[in-house]
Amino acid sequence: MDTAMINELFPLLQLCDSNFPSGAFSHSFGLETYIQEQVITDTKSFSEAIIVYIEKQLVFVEGLACRLAFEGVGQNRMADLFELDQLLFAASLAEETRIGNRRIGERMAKLCAGLYPSPILDDYLDKIKEKQAYGHSALVFSIVACHLQVGKETAIGAYLYGAVSSLIQNAVRSIPLGQTDGQKLLVNIQPLLKKAVRKILLLSKDDLGAVSPGLEIAQMRHERLHVRLFMS
Amino acid sequence: MSYTGVLELSAIRRQSKSIVSSCYYEGALKLTRPVYLEEHVPTVYLIHVGGGYVDGDTYLTDLSVEAGAELAVTTQSATKVYKTPKNPVVQQTNLKVGKGSVLEYFPDSLIAYEGARFIQETNVRMEEEAVFFYSDIITPGWAEDGSLFRYDWIRSKLKVYKNDKLVLFDHLLLKPDDQLNGIMQMEGYTHVGTLLIFHNQADKVFLDGLYEVMEDIQEDVCFGLSTLPKGGVILRLLARSTGMIEKMITLAHGWARHQMLAKDVVRWRKY
Repeated sequence: MDTAMINELFPLLQLCDSNFPSGAFSHSFGLETYIQEQVITDTKSFSEAIIVYIEKQLVFVEGLACRLAFEGVGQNRMADLFELDQLLFAASLAEETRIGNRRIGERMAKLCAGLYPSPILDDYLDKIKEKQAYGHSALVFSIVACHLQVGKETAIGAYLYGAVSSLIQNAVRSIPLGQTDGQKLLVNIQPLLKKAVRKILLLSKDDLGAVSPGLEIAQMRHERLHVRLFMS
Repeated sequence: MSYTGVLELSAIRRQSKSIVSSCYYEGALKLTRPVYLEEHVPTVYLIHVGGGYVDGDTYLTDLSVEAGAELAVTTQSATKVYKTPKNPVVQQTNLKVGKGSVLEYFPDSLIAYEGARFIQETNVRMEEEAVFFYSDIITPGWAEDGSLFRYDWIRSKLKVYKNDKLVLFDHLLLKPDDQLNGIMQMEGYTHVGTLLIFHNQADKVFLDGLYEVMEDIQEDVCFGLSTLPKGGVILRLLARSTGMIEKMITLAHGWARHQMLAKDVVRWRKY
């Protein structure tokens, strides 16, 4: 590995670290509902759920948005970025998830504007502050990755990894799972993330947001759980 | 582009009464004359003149409810989509809900049979103070061998704009595979239903009230409720029969009508 590659690796490691203070560690995006309803109870049931989450939710929503944003920013099509911002916001049917995504997006935009500033990120953050845009972590991530000249596939893969590792950390705390089981899961899902990136590259803009109903309902039901560790 | 069926309709308000002011249809779509189930509000029943949607069919429906008018829309029977070996069926629906107007849009269920591919795209444009109630029910048709989920895929895209701002983008993709029955997908259920309630009073207080009404129901359903941006509530549910979905939607719709419009439950008088 030459020095240039190492240099592009560091920011990705930083942004995808589950300790990165974006606020993602406060959100389960519906998984907590399954945990409380005893559908997810152990490593096996959680790993089955996370596979569906990757192949359906992450591929068609956040992952595809990440790719489309990366392509739009790379070609300076800012209108595409703002359209994605609106679509992602309106595609979250559950209020907690919608607000959670927005908070995480805004916090990430602020943090990254200080850490890895670029004119496009400044523009996005301004629009968020003026309430012309909502903010979404997938879009902030793509802007930063594009600015740092990370390859598209690497960027998408890194974003997916960050999203999944954060959910796994949350699962370790809440189900709970053993720390080692969590790390094993992070190894087992790596081929799936690779497959997910390939799938995302084959999708079109028309596919954005295409999901099946169960997870959305779980995200809505989360509002009504009596005891909650997570905000969504 | 030439469609298999086109239907256009406008409703306006004339003094205290709403009327259908213009209406046009061609091909496989038509509709009944307006019926006044309520004294001042016309109800129209959309009709498909063939037995159902077949390969490559395209449909366009444009409904417009002008300022202050009220309109209720349903269908005469379920929409059936049969095998589409060459091209998917595409159904495009544009709904305009003008300033201070009320549109209740409650089609019967969609039944997708073996080998069906179906694209449904619905765009709704609401203006200030508009009220929009909407339901959608998707059911798997039975295959000859009695099995369910034999359709190829169903894709439903619904966009709702309020004063030109996108407030809802609901994109459902139902594509039978080894995961569709399970967690985060159909959760072991077979039928999906959605009810949207857009009204300036569709806020957290309304949501809590609706939740209380719904949670008393002890049935084999899985449902979620949440608020949408700028005055809206969504109910999404999974069940094992069209009747159960209709029962739940009718309950929630009736409660919304009672709370927001000071009206009773709709009796569509179809059968």
